[in-house]
Amino acid sequence: MSQELKNGLWAKITRNMSLANISIIATILVAVLATLDRGGYMLVNTLVEGGMIALMSMGLALTLGVLNIPMFAHGEFFMIGTLVGYYVFTPLSSYMTSHPESYLVFWGPIITILAAAVAGAIAGVIVELFIFRQLRKRSRENWVMNSFLLTVGLSVVLINGHQLFFGADFKGIVGYYHGSPLTILGVYISRDRCFASIVAVLVVALFWYFITHTRIGRAIRSVSQDETGALMVGIPINAILMLTMALSCALAAVAGAGLLFMYPSYPTVGLMPLYMAWFVVILAGLGNVMGAVMCSFMVALLRVLTITYIGSGWDLVFPSILIILILIFKPSGIFGTEVRGVLDK
Amino acid sequence: MNNTTRANNPFDKFLDLTCLTPFGLLTILILAVLPFVPPFNHEYLIRWLISAALMACLAIAFDFTAGLINIVNFGYCAIMGLGAYTSAIMVSRLGCNIWLSMLIGGLLAAMAGVVIGVITLRLRGIFAACLAWFFGLALMGTTIKLVWLTRGPMGLEAKRLMDTQSNVPYYYVILLMMVAIYAICRWVTRTKMGVAFKAIGQNMEAARTSGINPVLYRLANFVLSCTIAGVVGGFYAHYYGILTPDMMKTAKTVEVLAVAYIGGRGSLWGGAAIAFPLTFAMELLRSSLSNLPGINLVIYGILLVTVMIYYPGGFAEFFDSHIRKTKGKVMGYILNGASGGNNTI
Amino acid sequence: MLLEVKNLNAGYGYLQILRDVTLNVDTGEYVCLVGPNGAGKSTTLKTIAGLLRPQSGEIVFQGESIGGLPGNKVMKKGISLVSEAMNLFVNMTVKENLAMGAYTIHDKKKKKDRLDFVFDLFPRLAERSDQLAGTMSGGERKMLAIGRGLMANPSLLLVDEPSFGLAPLLTESVFESLDVLVKKGLTILLVEQNVTKTLAVTDRGYVLENGRIELSDKSSELANNPHVRKVFLGV
Repeated sequence: MSQELKNGLWAKITRNMSLANISIIATILVAVLATLDRGGYMLVNTLVEGGMIALMSMGLALTLGVLNIPMFAHGEFFMIGTLVGYYVFTPLSSYMTSHPESYLVFWGPIITILAAAVAGAIAGVIVELFIFRQLRKRSRENWVMNSFLLTVGLSVVLINGHQLFFGADFKGIVGYYHGSPLTILGVYISRDRCFASIVAVLVVALFWYFITHTRIGRAIRSVSQDETGALMVGIPINAILMLTMALSCALAAVAGAGLLFMYPSYPTVGLMPLYMAWFVVILAGLGNVMGAVMCSFMVALLRVLTITYIGSGWDLVFPSILIILILIFKPSGIFGTEVRGVLDK
Repeated sequence: MNNTTRANNPFDKFLDLTCLTPFGLLTILILAVLPFVPPFNHEYLIRWLISAALMACLAIAFDFTAGLINIVNFGYCAIMGLGAYTSAIMVSRLGCNIWLSMLIGGLLAAMAGVVIGVITLRLRGIFAACLAWFFGLALMGTTIKLVWLTRGPMGLEAKRLMDTQSNVPYYYVILLMMVAIYAICRWVTRTKMGVAFKAIGQNMEAARTSGINPVLYRLANFVLSCTIAGVVGGFYAHYYGILTPDMMKTAKTVEVLAVAYIGGRGSLWGGAAIAFPLTFAMELLRSSLSNLPGINLVIYGILLVTVMIYYPGGFAEFFDSHIRKTKGKVMGYILNGASGGNNTI
Repeated sequence: MLLEVKNLNAGYGYLQILRDVTLNVDTGEYVCLVGPNGAGKSTTLKTIAGLLRPQSGEIVFQGESIGGLPGNKVMKKGISLVSEAMNLFVNMTVKENLAMGAYTIHDKKKKKDRLDFVFDLFPRLAERSDQLAGTMSGGERKMLAIGRGLMANPSLLLVDEPSFGLAPLLTESVFESLDVLVKKGLTILLVEQNVTKTLAVTDRGYVLENGRIELSDKSSELANNPHVRKVFLGV
């Protein structure tokens, strides 16, 4: 009897709300509960991390959805962002200490982020032109697997290239903004974290506007849904692919530079962001960019919860298990995938 | 396969049994006598040889899955680590016989293979690779955290296989293992199962409609390849004598992957053949250019990328098209004189 | 002569499909390309439209050689392809799909005019203008595909198997729309398997078999041709 009741209740819930909505509500609930339990910094940490993971996973979702490349080297563009951030900000910051009245005190970090974005974009263009376009020209068969392997090789080259040219030591900065932390709702939030959150929010908003309301944004969406169809309506495919790659890598680089005060630059700094981005992208459904933004906060929350309640070091295990479960039971992800052919059938 | 000339003399029977070509047998014999030939009679070079043979074993078994049924087991080194740790723990905690422990390590790895095989059943290639990847990450994370069992990052000591300071006996063990692994894998490909693997690797749907049950064969393939990883892991444990969770990291799988692909995917022997010169080259680079750390891996990565784009058949294809043909021509000339003749060897 | 195809050879990789295909379409004509399954009809259209690179031969459109140009450039010259697979943007609405059809048009007024034209021709699409393309029925999707192809005001419309998978009533409706377009002055090259219907409505026809043009004549003559009748009509 209670089985029927359970089925009835569950059926009523699932009928009225999709899995996506349920998970969003669940996340918010859990976040609120955790904040009440341990304090406001739970929410703050989730939001800050979630914001940056959002940037990473948006880029990855773009590469997956539009270029159909499972980008294993995405973390390395985060790493490029941290590298550029370090080498741009360090001289700026020493100038700032000797000229504390300079306008750079405010604009310096912003310039750094922009520089990282440009560097990421250039890196993306180079990779697309010299690696993926070459593969595309030569063989279209087995594209997904082949391009994946290429990105694996690329990752190896970039990580060890960093070590070769810039050394394996940690290159960090003290902080972007100095000054007392801000107090919001009784929680102390450092200025750097505020900065990072604002950057994340701005970039996500700008990107959303770009992809939904501009001509080129629509072209990108078309290419991701049907490449032949896009060709047939006159969209220059190669140019769009290159633009998308540049965007994706720029997003990762911005995430890297934005978090430089938390994660210093070193060769393998991109690995954790890579894992996180992949978790998010699979959770959300491959290629779903805006869904990835939502799921970033879920994964960030999961991480924060794991570290707080179970202990650091397990923060790789639980998301992995969650993703394995998702892959088994709902491979198209919570928000559904726009990328064709997830299942073998 | 030429069935019109049945192997009747013991030499050909031997070749058939070990699935080797005359060329292959020659290479094995050369490898076998190498430790007695200067400059290879130095202990550190024999260490390199062992390292290369280990890589060769892994490459063969990895290619068995990646090359034949087109699934990249991206958690491969984690499974090897599982076998290694299991074997070490069985010996040190339960006082088991070393050889038996190695087999038990293989058994546990096989079970992991079953788990991965089952949960990736419904998924397309890239998702299976992802799932194997996350599985490996979860394994590695668990190994790090279960300090009471594995001593975590501090490292686990394993009893050495034999009571000798010399590396030479270990070399022969691993060499024998390598030949056995190749023979087993190659033998399987010659059976009905092997044909099924090829069919599944090329086109799941077509295979299914031809009456092949992909489930069974996929599982069988996974189990065999993982078992081998586990047993080789056991050897690794009892040769190097110390284990750290680091051996399970993704970068290690990437190395195996690089060797297998540069050697020529699907060939089985390509990775093994290329493992020796590559390992030596890498070690030489590492020791001579010690002021340029990581350059060997950069070269690995560049090689992988270049091979994948421009020469996807790898070394095996190069060998087949250039050397075999030339050999055929040369032999034809020798045996038939200037007239050339129509007999092909 | 609007479109001239001379000795076109094309295929996929090592597989050659088209062998020395030669055909012409003049402005205002309604020409069909018929043939058995696998003859290479779709390949012909795809090659003309720039989705496939020709191995050899010439494609001349409005005096310009367009062989080898990529699909988006060919489209800009004034050729629109309505493919058999339709290639619609499944997660976009009808209106968005049509808007994408006008991607190369920058004039807002022109865009609106074309949209009105298409909605006029296919009132069904106007009714469902906010519906996702992926949720529409086969017939509606065909209409959308043709509509999208028309948005850029092409000089030549290539239509690949418009009746494929459609019920007879819908097939009638699609052919009617094509008739209306021809009357308004559009040039159409039609590929079809429904030979009877096709030969009845078109001016001229080509018969493609095994990648070669075997027959070329007025449609009315082809309908009475004994070879055609035997191969396609089983008479």
